[in-house]
Amino acid sequence: MQEAAHVATNAVHHVGGDVVHAVAAAAHNVHEAVVHQAEASSHSITHMMMHLIIQLAVIIVVAKIGGYLFQRFLKMPSVLGELASGMLIGPYALGGMIDIPNLGILFAESHGFAATPQLYGIATLASIILLFLAGLETDLAAFIRYSVVGSFVGLGGLFAAFVLGDLCAVFWPGNGIDSFMDPAALFLGVISVATSVGITARILAEKQKMASPEGVTILAGAVFDDVFGIVTLAIVMGMAKVSLGGGEVNWGEIGIIAAKAIGFFVVVTALGLIFSRKITAMIKKFKSTEIIVSICFGLALLLAGLAEMAGLAMIIGAYIMGLALSRTDLAHEIEHHMEGVYNLLVPIFFCVMGMMVDFAAMKPVLIFGSVYSLLAIVSKVVGCGLPAYAMKFNLRGSLRIGLGMLPRGEVALIVAGIGLASGIIDQGIFGVSIMMTVVTTMLAPPLLVKSFEGGSGLRKEMDGGGEDVEVIELAFPSRDITEFLLNRFVRALQAEEFFVHHLHTEQPTYRVLKDDIAFTLVQDGGKLIINVPQANQHVARMILLEELLSLTDLLESTKQMKDLDEMGSDLMSGLFA
Amino acid sequence: MNLKKVLSPDTVWVDLKADSKQGIIEEMIDRLLAAGKINDREAVLTAVLEREAKMSTGMQNGVAIPHGKTDSVKSLVAAVGLNKSGVNFDSMDGAPCTIFIMTLSPTKRTGPHIQFLAEVSRLISQPAEREKLLACTTHGEIYETLTRK
Repeated sequence: MQEAAHVATNAVHHVGGDVVHAVAAAAHNVHEAVVHQAEASSHSITHMMMHLIIQLAVIIVVAKIGGYLFQRFLKMPSVLGELASGMLIGPYALGGMIDIPNLGILFAESHGFAATPQLYGIATLASIILLFLAGLETDLAAFIRYSVVGSFVGLGGLFAAFVLGDLCAVFWPGNGIDSFMDPAALFLGVISVATSVGITARILAEKQKMASPEGVTILAGAVFDDVFGIVTLAIVMGMAKVSLGGGEVNWGEIGIIAAKAIGFFVVVTALGLIFSRKITAMIKKFKSTEIIVSICFGLALLLAGLAEMAGLAMIIGAYIMGLALSRTDLAHEIEHHMEGVYNLLVPIFFCVMGMMVDFAAMKPVLIFGSVYSLLAIVSKVVGCGLPAYAMKFNLRGSLRIGLGMLPRGEVALIVAGIGLASGIIDQGIFGVSIMMTVVTTMLAPPLLVKSFEGGSGLRKEMDGGGEDVEVIELAFPSRDITEFLLNRFVRALQAEEFFVHHLHTEQPTYRVLKDDIAFTLVQDGGKLIINVPQANQHVARMILLEELLSLTDLLESTKQMKDLDEMGSDLMSGLFA
Repeated sequence: MNLKKVLSPDTVWVDLKADSKQGIIEEMIDRLLAAGKINDREAVLTAVLEREAKMSTGMQNGVAIPHGKTDSVKSLVAAVGLNKSGVNFDSMDGAPCTIFIMTLSPTKRTGPHIQFLAEVSRLISQPAEREKLLACTTHGEIYETLTRK
C-alpha cells in the first residue's frame, strides 16, 4: 500500500515533471494532495491487480510445467506436480525471496495467510469448478443400483479413515486436541476420507484390470466414497462452525446438525434431480449451448453460496448442482465446455494449496504427519478390505481393493484448504494433510501394481462364477481410425442406453455400465481394447460389430465424393500462379 | 433383461416353412405384418436385406439373427422362429440354421435394441437351451422357454 502510494506520487511528479510551473504547483498544493490521494487509492487497486495478474502468470506457467513433469517422468498425477510447484514458488520458499522492483515480493504472506484474498478468491472459484464437474461426472445411476459390495467397501473405508484420522489427533500428545469433537480433530478425520480414484483407474486400465471383480468394486466403492464423503464434510462443517462459535457441541446438537446437513443434501439433490430436466428444458430454449452452460455454471455458483449460507461449505453446493445435472443430457455439453476453464483454473488451486505449505511450521509436526499418513493407509486398506473380505474376496483381492482406495487427492486438499482458511486447522496440520495426500498418492501405484501379481482375488467358492474377463482386441491401421470407431462405439452404447463414463486417464478409457453389465474400453494407440466379463461379451461384440459394419456405409459414401485428387488440386490451384 | 417386455406369444413361431434365406426373412416379416406389429412390409424388408448384404447374420450352431433399423417401426419389434429342417443362411460355420431371431428397431429412438438381440443370443448360446428350444412343438411352449427367467 505504502509502496503503491509512493509509485503513484512518483508517477504524478514524473508526468508533471520539470515542465510544471513551480508557482502553479504551489498554488494547487491542497488540491493536488486530494488528487494524489484519489490517484493513490485507484492506483493501489491497479497495483494490486497487477500483482495478482503477475502472480497468476507465474502460477499458471509453473504449475502446468510441474504437472507435466510429474506426469511425464514420474508417472504421477499432475496434481502432485502442481502442488510441488506451489511449494517451490510459495512465500515460504522461492516466492518469499523474489523481490521485484515496482512490484514488491512476488508471493508474500498476507495476514498470516500464504495467499492474498484476491488470489485465494480465484483458487476458491477453481475448487468450485472442480467439485461441480466431479458431481457432474458422478454416475448416480451406478450409485443407486450398482454393486452392494461397492457400497460396503466405500462406507467401510470412509468410517475407518474418519475415526482413525480423528483419533490420531486426539491421542497425539501435546497438540491441545483432546476431544473427538474438537473441530481440528474432526477436520483431520474428514480430510483423510475422500479417495481420489483417478490414479487407481489409470493403473487398472493399464493392467487391464478395470473389468475385474476388484476393479469394478473399487470404482463403485469410489462413487459411494465421493457422495458420503461430501455428506460427512457437510456434517463436520456444521459441527465445526457451531463449536467455533461457542464451545461444546452436545450430541443433541450434533443430531440436529447432521439432520440439517443430510437434509440439505438429500432435499437439494432430490429437487435437483426432479427439476433438472424441467430446468434444463427451460434453459434449452436459449438454443445456444454457450449460454446454457454459463447459466448452469451460474446455478452451481448460486447453490455453492447457499450451501455456505446454510452452514455447510461452498464445494458441497457445487457438487450437488453437478450431481443434479449429471442425469440430464446437458451433462456432456457442460463438461465439454467447462474443460478449458477447468484446465486453466484448477492447477491454480493446487498450486496455491502447495504455496500454503509452511516448511518451518511443519518441522515440529513431521512425526505426527508420518503417523497420520500411516494411519490413512491402514484405515483404507483395513476399512475397505474387511467388507470386501466379508463379501466375496480372498485376502489378496481384499488387499487389492484396499490399496485401490488408498490415494487421496483433490477433495482432501480442498477440505484442508477450507480448514486453514477458516482457522480450524493451523499451518502445521495443513502441512500434515498435504503430506498425507502426497504419501498416499505416491505409494498407491507401486503397491497396487505389485498386489495384482498372482492369481484370482475371489474366494474359491465364488470363483468361476462367470467372472472371467474376456479381452477383445482390434487393431486398426491408424490411431485416427481407432479413435473414430471408439467414438462411434461410445455413441452406439449410449443409444442402447448404457451409461458411458469417461475416465480422465492418459489413454482414452471408458467405463460402460448398465444394470449388472460392466465393461471397459481402452484406446491404446491404434488398438481398441475391450475388457468384458464373459457373461456380457455378447452385447459388447454385437454392438461393436454393427459399428464396424456401418464403416462400410461410410466408405461407400466417400466413393461418391468428388475425386479427392481433383478436390485437392481445386483447393491449391491459383496459389502459386 | 426381461424378454417378456418385447416378445409376445404371437411373435414366436415353431413352424417356419420357407427353405431359403430370403424366404425365411420374408416369411417372418409377413407374420409380423399379420400380427399387426409392423405396417410397412417393404421398408422393413429393405432394412433387413441391407444389413444382410453387409454381412450375413447366420452365426454358428444353427442360429441366425436377421435384423435391421427402420423408422417404419416406433419401438423395438422382435420375433423368434424355428425351422427344424434347417435353412442355408450363409452362416459362419456353414451349418444350416434352425433358430431365427429377428429384431427391427427405429433409427432415431434410443433403447436396448442390440442388447435384446445379445440377450437372446446369450441364452441360446448354451447348448442345453438350444436343445430345449428346438424340442418345443407349440408357439406357447417356445414363448414359455424363452421368457421363463
